[in-house]
Amino acid sequence: MIPLSNYLVVGAILFVLGVIGFLTRRNMILMFLSAEMMLQGVAVNLVAFARYHGNLHGQVFTLFLITVAACEAAIALALILMLYRQRKTLDVSVWQDLREPGQEPTVDVEPPPVPAVPAELPHLTPAGIAPPRPREESHV
Amino acid sequence: MFEPSTMLWLVPSLPLAAAILTAFLGPTLLKRFSHLPTILATAASCAVAVLLLAGMVGSSGPLAAKGYTWFQAGQFAVTMSLQADTLTLVMLVTVTFVGTFIAIFSAGYMHDDPGYPRYFAVMSLFLFSMTGLVLADNFLTLYAFWEGVGLCSYLLIGFWFQKPSAAAAARKGFLVTRLGDAGMILGIMLLWSQFGHRTDFVSIFHEARSRGDVEYLLTPACLLLFCGAVGKSAQFPLHVWLPDAMEGPTPASALIHAATMVTAGVYLVARCTPLFVLAPAAQLVVGCIGGFTALLAALIALTQNDLKRVLAYSTISQLGYMFLALGAGVRHEGLAIFAATAAIFHLFTHAFFKALLFLAAGSVMHAMGGVIDVRKIGGLRKILPITHWTFLCGALALAGLIPFAGFWSKDEVLESVLQAGEHADANRAVYFLLFAVGILTAALTAFYTFRVYFRTFWGAEKVPHEAHHPHESPNVMAIPLIVLAVGAALVGVVFEGATHWFSHFLSGATSFTMLNAPEPEHHTNWLLILGSTVAAAGGIGLAAYFYYLRPLLPILLAHTIRPAYELSRNKFHIDEIYILAVVHPLTIFAAMCRLFDGIVDGVVDLVGALPRIVAKALQPIQNGLVQFYALVMMVFLTAFLTIFILWFRQ
Repeated sequence: MIPLSNYLVVGAILFVLGVIGFLTRRNMILMFLSAEMMLQGVAVNLVAFARYHGNLHGQVFTLFLITVAACEAAIALALILMLYRQRKTLDVSVWQDLREPGQEPTVDVEPPPVPAVPAELPHLTPAGIAPPRPREESHV
Repeated sequence: MFEPSTMLWLVPSLPLAAAILTAFLGPTLLKRFSHLPTILATAASCAVAVLLLAGMVGSSGPLAAKGYTWFQAGQFAVTMSLQADTLTLVMLVTVTFVGTFIAIFSAGYMHDDPGYPRYFAVMSLFLFSMTGLVLADNFLTLYAFWEGVGLCSYLLIGFWFQKPSAAAAARKGFLVTRLGDAGMILGIMLLWSQFGHRTDFVSIFHEARSRGDVEYLLTPACLLLFCGAVGKSAQFPLHVWLPDAMEGPTPASALIHAATMVTAGVYLVARCTPLFVLAPAAQLVVGCIGGFTALLAALIALTQNDLKRVLAYSTISQLGYMFLALGAGVRHEGLAIFAATAAIFHLFTHAFFKALLFLAAGSVMHAMGGVIDVRKIGGLRKILPITHWTFLCGALALAGLIPFAGFWSKDEVLESVLQAGEHADANRAVYFLLFAVGILTAALTAFYTFRVYFRTFWGAEKVPHEAHHPHESPNVMAIPLIVLAVGAALVGVVFEGATHWFSHFLSGATSFTMLNAPEPEHHTNWLLILGSTVAAAGGIGLAAYFYYLRPLLPILLAHTIRPAYELSRNKFHIDEIYILAVVHPLTIFAAMCRLFDGIVDGVVDLVGALPRIVAKALQPIQNGLVQFYALVMMVFLTAFLTIFILWFRQ
């Protein structure tokens, strides 16, 4: 049998990766993604223990966890949408208004690179119109 | 209603009512009539005192009036009660009589002063405190009024408080007398604790006299009480405040620093005669300090140029005489009564002639536009005739020429010192030395008094330019001068010299009847009379020779004995010694205390600033970044779990 600790290590790795992603990412949606990954790590842990104990208690708990994660996703994405509408950016470091009065805002030493906007966007065929195709002869 | 005991309350209450009335209504309602409540109240108190005295001439039992309880601690209660025996009544009549005429004089002297109501309010308050002091029947009430007269002295010396020298002199007077008062309260506490835990005079005196062999307690107690007298009555070493107190208005100087307040010390020691009789060592100290002060002040007065200063030193010198007499009681009860009577009689005559001299000096100042330096005025006997003749009366009384008042009292003082030399168990030579000092001081007194008399009233007429139109004083100022001059001339011979009424009346005082001594027979010591008259006449004659006949001779003499002259003119540098020995160390100590206080303040401020410092240090944690908060959470969670797991591993 695969020892229990292996599964726990996998769950821990997922959790730690989620933590690191949450702490280091600038994009709010990606921060949320990392938080979801933390939840998945916990879920793996619970399922492993369910298998270890031989009952389904862990799996039931995981179902609850996934349901809660879905609700939380709805709320979190609504909040991120509202914040985007305020500042027109998904950068989390623009939100420092809750600092102590008298504290200087933390500004980047090197500002993050702004993705280059291509001079000319590619022309795509408009949707809903069948593209021209060569007429095929049928040899029946 | 008009029981003598209830009439006792009138004597201090009338001046108190006048003080309150003048203080509250003076500036608004009474204005130029602010003198009326004071003069009327003092005159009424004088009338009541004279009535009580007349009532007591036949029967010499003391009057008592119970008052309210000041405070109570267990079984010990201090009441504000009054008592009046013959000693008290003599003091009351003196204080109120002289006070009335000084108040009348002040109405003229202080006429244009903007502080007119304040002056009379404080003067009435002073008369309330002084009459309360002599009417007190226990030590603590006496001490309360003692401080009251000290306060009024401060208010009157510093009357023109905008002048820095006057404010400084008022502070000096109050603080120096406070030094003496510290000793006095210690003496009172010693007496309270050792003699039955009571504070009234009669109980303590009876207790002390009934227990034998208490000299080891009484000597320090009497010396401590004498400390208070040294401060209040300006004896060496606490005499330095009285010459500076001449910054106050002249009638205030006449009342407080000549006739009444400074005699409070003499009254206290006379009242405590039953205690002093049992402590001859304390009496020796009293006599020595009195004699030394008398001589010291006389030597300083020889070279002073300010008429009021000369009179101030003369007051110190005469108070020295009174203490000289009070120290002559030794262990002999009859002699103690005689000596204390001599001191009080000298107090009585001194009140008249010294107040007269001060008021005459005030009259001169009024005419000369405030100038009182004898070098700047001269030949005033034609311009100010009444002032001249009254000043002459006072000067003759001070010099002690027969038949003026000062002669009789000084004669009794010297007689008591001489008898002390005969009756003392130990230190006889000291008493004879003190007698010689007394005779020498009498000669010096006559000399310096007539020195200023001749320089002011004789010689070429010299009027300073501050005097716009020198004229004799108005009646309101002249009449008190005349009354006091008649007093200075006659009061000695009428009350004691020819009749011995005074000593007979005073022998009924409770402090004296307690001693159970027979009334001393009065034998006149012709040799002493001759000796003191020669001394006084010699002083007057020498002053006339120096300052009337040969005016250039004193200048030559002063130049010849320059070191001694300068020493006397600079008051023997006692003030400078005090500044070096006492004031400077205290200033340094105060600076050190201020430094220490600054350090303590700094520590407290540091403790107060500590939360803010810690907050400033921890503030960067709150930087508004969500990820930073999450990081901190993770870090501490990790640390906590590590410690938790490691702890559970044990």
